[in-house]
Amino acid sequence: MRFQRVIQAVMLGMFLCLLYLAAYPLVLPMGTELFLRMDPLVLAGTVLSARTVIAALLPAVMVIGLSVILGRFFCSHICPMGTTIDLADRLLCPEKEFSTKSLPALPAWVRIVKYLVLFFILGSALMGISLVFLASPLSLITRLYGLIIVPVGSLLASMGLNLLRGAADLFGISLLPYISIDVPRYALQWLVIGIFIAVFGCAVYSPRFWCRNICLAGALLALCARKPLLRRRVDERCINCGVCRDLCPMEAIDEDPLRTRHQECIACLRCVKVCPVEAVTFTYRGRKRERIGYGFSRDRRKLVYAVVLGACTALVSLTGLSRLKGPDEPGQIVPSGLIRPPGALPEPDFLARCIRCGQCMKACPTNTLQPISLAAGFTALASPVITPARGPCEPLCNVCTQVCPTGAIRALSVSEKIWARVGTAVILRHKCIAWEHDRECLICDEVCPFDAVSLKRAEGLSVSVPFVDENRCNGCGYCEYYCPVTGRKAIVVEPMNALRLESGSFRDAAIEQGFSFEMRQTSQEDRQGQEMHLPGFEDSLPPGFTQ
Amino acid sequence: MNSRDFFSALISREQDSRHGLTRREFIVLQAKAAFVFSVNAAGLLVPAGACADAVPDIAVARGRPGPAARAAVNLLGGIGSFVRPGSKVVIKPNMSFARGPESATNTDPEVVRELFAMCREAGASKVRVLDHPLRPSEQCIEGIRDACRVFGDNTVQALEDSFFYQETQLPDAVKFRETDIMKDVLDSDVLIAAPVAKSHSSTGVSLSMKGMMGLILNRSVMHWRYDLSTAIVDLCTYLKPRLVVIDATRVLSTNGPGGPGKVLKEDTIIASRDMVAADAAAVQMFEWYGRKMHPRQVRHISIAHERGLGRMDVENLVTEKVQV
Repeated sequence: MRFQRVIQAVMLGMFLCLLYLAAYPLVLPMGTELFLRMDPLVLAGTVLSARTVIAALLPAVMVIGLSVILGRFFCSHICPMGTTIDLADRLLCPEKEFSTKSLPALPAWVRIVKYLVLFFILGSALMGISLVFLASPLSLITRLYGLIIVPVGSLLASMGLNLLRGAADLFGISLLPYISIDVPRYALQWLVIGIFIAVFGCAVYSPRFWCRNICLAGALLALCARKPLLRRRVDERCINCGVCRDLCPMEAIDEDPLRTRHQECIACLRCVKVCPVEAVTFTYRGRKRERIGYGFSRDRRKLVYAVVLGACTALVSLTGLSRLKGPDEPGQIVPSGLIRPPGALPEPDFLARCIRCGQCMKACPTNTLQPISLAAGFTALASPVITPARGPCEPLCNVCTQVCPTGAIRALSVSEKIWARVGTAVILRHKCIAWEHDRECLICDEVCPFDAVSLKRAEGLSVSVPFVDENRCNGCGYCEYYCPVTGRKAIVVEPMNALRLESGSFRDAAIEQGFSFEMRQTSQEDRQGQEMHLPGFEDSLPPGFTQ
Repeated sequence: MNSRDFFSALISREQDSRHGLTRREFIVLQAKAAFVFSVNAAGLLVPAGACADAVPDIAVARGRPGPAARAAVNLLGGIGSFVRPGSKVVIKPNMSFARGPESATNTDPEVVRELFAMCREAGASKVRVLDHPLRPSEQCIEGIRDACRVFGDNTVQALEDSFFYQETQLPDAVKFRETDIMKDVLDSDVLIAAPVAKSHSSTGVSLSMKGMMGLILNRSVMHWRYDLSTAIVDLCTYLKPRLVVIDATRVLSTNGPGGPGKVLKEDTIIASRDMVAADAAAVQMFEWYGRKMHPRQVRHISIAHERGLGRMDVENLVTEKVQV
């Protein structure tokens, strides 16, 4: 097996391990998002749109720096997207395996498209709108594995376990008692699957079609690797057999096999291996005229147009109705489901940084983080929101804040995270079993980790009814999750009063605003002194008792 | 062991026969009962009238949690009159909240450990401590799991996956006729309820009867489809613990079930064969929100009494107390 294949396998394995470890409880204090931080497009797009230097993206700087020396080694050796596409190519089109001989050549303009799209996206990033999520290979592949493969794998594992256990029960053996596998579920599967049907389907046309013609991170690296220090060189032994040209997965070798399109070459070293006369080497010395360029001079104007078009598109989206500015600006339409994870930056900064990789959603132990559809506009597509009806945001968990590669969700300690209020619970009295139907129910009170819901007597009702103390509610959604009402729940979390801080302590800000999120298990105070009845009902029964 | 033990054991066996009584066990019991009957009829075993005093309906022990739990069970004739050698036992404590014992939202781990040890001493083949908690299970069951670790792994479980439950008809129910119950409970011979005594903002108190909701998969249906108190009683027509041990060493007198609320230090364990009587005794014995309440003021207790599930008229029952 070639060295490159071994490295690829190791890297894909590492990527999957890190993705697996992005879970609650977090075993690795950092590093689960390492691969996402290597993506050059994430670096360029996010730094431009967030208008700040993001130290966390240093690995991408290193990848770009190394590509000046080693060429696009990242594409052939490290990128999990590239490896996955190699696997898909092999599975889907074994007969055409790594050969481009029989295919009609693509028109020349196809090769320029990815550069145009890259400049378009960088143009929109200049205006503060990040569209990186549409094309970042690491973001896309994390979404595929995290939001599609992991749930399906868990489902299969769970079914297998139950089958196995059922069979063991027949023989009276107690096998793996009490182990159960949670199967996460995600919204917006069609988006991820649609993208990957297209990406993998292109294998029919040529190997690594995505990497050749679409990948913007690849395009960015290609710009840096137009003449890498270590590059493909062919010496005089070449017999012009053309084997290397036909087998090059990137179609980087010219009709004349002595000449290479270095920006397309991903340094997979296949040409070195297949050469019958060992004429191909990757060294820093060699003859001249081995390179063929694109002649960007001709397309320079198009690239400028692409930047301008990207910027204009960003301007349009800035005037969209769903675009949110500051939290206190009047006239903004905030969708009721727009409950961001705890520690999420203020909305414009959050969207500028979030690359929709889905790492936070994969890591979320309660499955409450879901990709949002178009409710908050196209520029917010697939960004994470808390979905309390699916699961509560566990107060003692801070995993999503720890695995975000770009800092769109600020890294918070557990004690700080509790103060990062995400919203406020509101009771919809017309749906509530107690308020509307005058029947016993107390679940919201029972489950609230902050004791923000209390049952009190109300005039005209025989049962005690719930009230929310908004200054104790941090929006975790335990109440909404457990509310037994079907359809829209009778107690729902709204984005109201969410704390979105760019910097500084959530705790201080929350206390300053008069919030008090004492977890029940940490609160030793005796709250008996607090009023247990509504004014005017002092003589009524304790909650839950009857005459 | 006296005749009363045998009768009650036999009767409860028969009531619980759906929990699985092997033919062999049944024949043995029949034979023993026949023997006791004949001996008793001859007036040889115990003098007439002694039966009534021998075993109280309600046992109340005061002291440290572990020793008091043991003393209370001993007043009822010892664990041997509930757990036969080789039987499978499920203990249902309240471990639904991620808080320490001082908050009185969960059963004291020492009480559970003592009950576990007693079951082992009685020769139980399998003992499981089970609940279906509300908060992340690992945080909730931590204390009790640590306390019971000496008895082996896997003994304390919070079951959330539907795989561990089985759809079950509740034949004696009025409204709530069908639910998914833990397979381990269906498969057991003896169910022991070990709730903590606490107030409950919707049903007044949460004791042994309310605690049975921790053995089923879907509780929310009990709230939205049925009247909660009726549904609790319906559930208790099927899930009838043979022994109830209420941990009232700390009583969460206000703001239950989750607290934080006023915690009364009562150092009391209440045990009974009758879940309604045990719950009623606990209601009567302590202050709730600073007031004395009557068991009939708790709807599920009064409904259970009316439907003959047990007796809430504790003043007419025999209560025995002990200090340890």
